[in-house]
Amino acid sequence: MTRRGTDLQQLRSFALQIWRAVRRRLRAAREIYEGVYFAPYRSAIHREYLEQRDLFLVLSFSDFLGIPNPVAFYTLELFPELIDQFHQWHVRMGMPRAPEGGFRCC
Amino acid sequence: MSGWGCHVLRRAGSGAAEAGPVGDCLSVVPQLNDLLDRRIVFFGGKGGVGKTTLAAAFAIHSGERGIRTLLVSTDTAHSTSDILETVLGPEPRRVTGECWAVEIDPGHETDRYISDVKRRIAGTIAPRLVHEVERQIDIARVSPGAEEAAVFERFTRIIEELRDDFGCIFFDTAPTGQTLRLLSLPELMATWISGLIGRRKKVNMLARMWRNVAGASAVGVLAEDDPVLSALEERRDRFLRTREILTDRHQTAFVFVLTPERLPILETRKAVAVLSRYGIPVSAILVNRVLPFDADGEFLERRRERESEYLGRIDEAFSGFPICRIPLDDQDVVGVAALREVAATVYQ
Repeated sequence: MTRRGTDLQQLRSFALQIWRAVRRRLRAAREIYEGVYFAPYRSAIHREYLEQRDLFLVLSFSDFLGIPNPVAFYTLELFPELIDQFHQWHVRMGMPRAPEGGFRCC
Repeated sequence: MSGWGCHVLRRAGSGAAEAGPVGDCLSVVPQLNDLLDRRIVFFGGKGGVGKTTLAAAFAIHSGERGIRTLLVSTDTAHSTSDILETVLGPEPRRVTGECWAVEIDPGHETDRYISDVKRRIAGTIAPRLVHEVERQIDIARVSPGAEEAAVFERFTRIIEELRDDFGCIFFDTAPTGQTLRLLSLPELMATWISGLIGRRKKVNMLARMWRNVAGASAVGVLAEDDPVLSALEERRDRFLRTREILTDRHQTAFVFVLTPERLPILETRKAVAVLSRYGIPVSAILVNRVLPFDADGEFLERRRERESEYLGRIDEAFSGFPICRIPLDDQDVVGVAALREVAATVYQ
C-alpha cells in the first residue's frame, strides 16, 4: 500500500516536470513567433504613439508656439502632468535644452 | 416721484394702433411674475439703458418677497456697488432682506485660478523646475483671453454651485457684445475640449498598444485613470451642464432692457437673433425711461411724438415677447429705497 503511494507521487512529479518543460518551450516558441510577427509593426506603433503624444502636446499648448489656442487658459492646469513629456519631446527633436518661448523644463 | 405708478405691459403685436400713452395702467403683470419663478434671470442690453438699475430693482423685490436671491454683476465697471451704495466683493454679501449681491472681478478671478494651478504644480514637479514653471504661468496670466476665461470659469461655478443656495439668481450683464460672447462660450469651449479629449484617448490607446508590444518597462506605469483626461472631461462636463441650464426655458430667462431710441432698438434686435441661434430663450423686453404721461411742456411734447414712433417700432420688432414699459423718473435712482420704488411700479 505504502509502496504504491510512493510510485504515484513519483509519477506525478515526473509528469509535472514534463509539463513545465513543454510549457517553457511553448512560451519560447510564442515569443519567437510574436517577435517575428510584431517586428515590422513595432517601430510603427512606437512612432505613431510618440507622434500622437506630441500632437496632443501641441494642441494643448499651441499658444507657446504662437498659434492661438482658445482654451489655453484651461489647459494650463494640465501643465504639471505634461511637463515631463515636453522634456522628452525636445530631447527627441535634437534639442538638448528646452527651446526658448515655451516652458523651460531644463 | 410723479412718473411712478404708471406703466403699460402689453403683448406686443396687439398692434401699434392700440399702443396708448404710458398712462394706460395695468395692474396685472403675469409675464413678469413668471420671471421670478425662473431660477436664473439675465438682464442684457446696450450700454447705458438701465440694466443695472432694473436688475437691482428686480433682485431687491425678489429678496423682499422672501426668496433667497443673488444679484451677480458681470460688468467690469462695477456699477452695481455704486447703485446699491455699498461695497460688493467676489463673495456674496447681504444687501437687504434675502437679497444678496456679488461682483465678478476679472483680475481677482484670474489670480484665483492662477494660484490654484501653481499650488497643484508645487506638488507634482521637481522643486528645481518650480520657479521656471511659475514664470511661464505668470506669462499666461496676462495673455489675451485669460481674464475672459477666468470670468467664464467663475460664471459657470456660480451657476453650478450657488444654484442650490439661492432660489433665484439675477445676472446684471456687461453690454451686449461681451454678454453674447460669454453665453456662447459654453458651446465653443466644450467643442474644443471635446476635440482634445478625443486626441488624448487616442494617445492613451496607443500607449496601451505600445506597452503590449514593448513591455511595461518601455512605457512606465500606465495609470488606470489618466489625470489629464479626467481634468479635461470634468471641464467639458461642467461647460455642458452650464449650457444645458442656460438653454432650459423653465430654469432660465433672458430679459432685454432698452430705451425708446433708435440704436438700442437696432442692437437689441440683433442680440435677440444671436441668442435664439444659441438656443437661449428671451423672456421679456423692458422699455426703460419712457416719458411719463404727465410730463408737460412743448419740448417734451415733441420728444413724446418721436418716442411714440419708437415705441411702435419696439412693439413691432419684438412681437411675441411680453413688453413692459417703465417710465422715466424725475430723480436719479440710487440706493435700496429708490430701487424698491422702481420695482413697485412694475409689480403694483
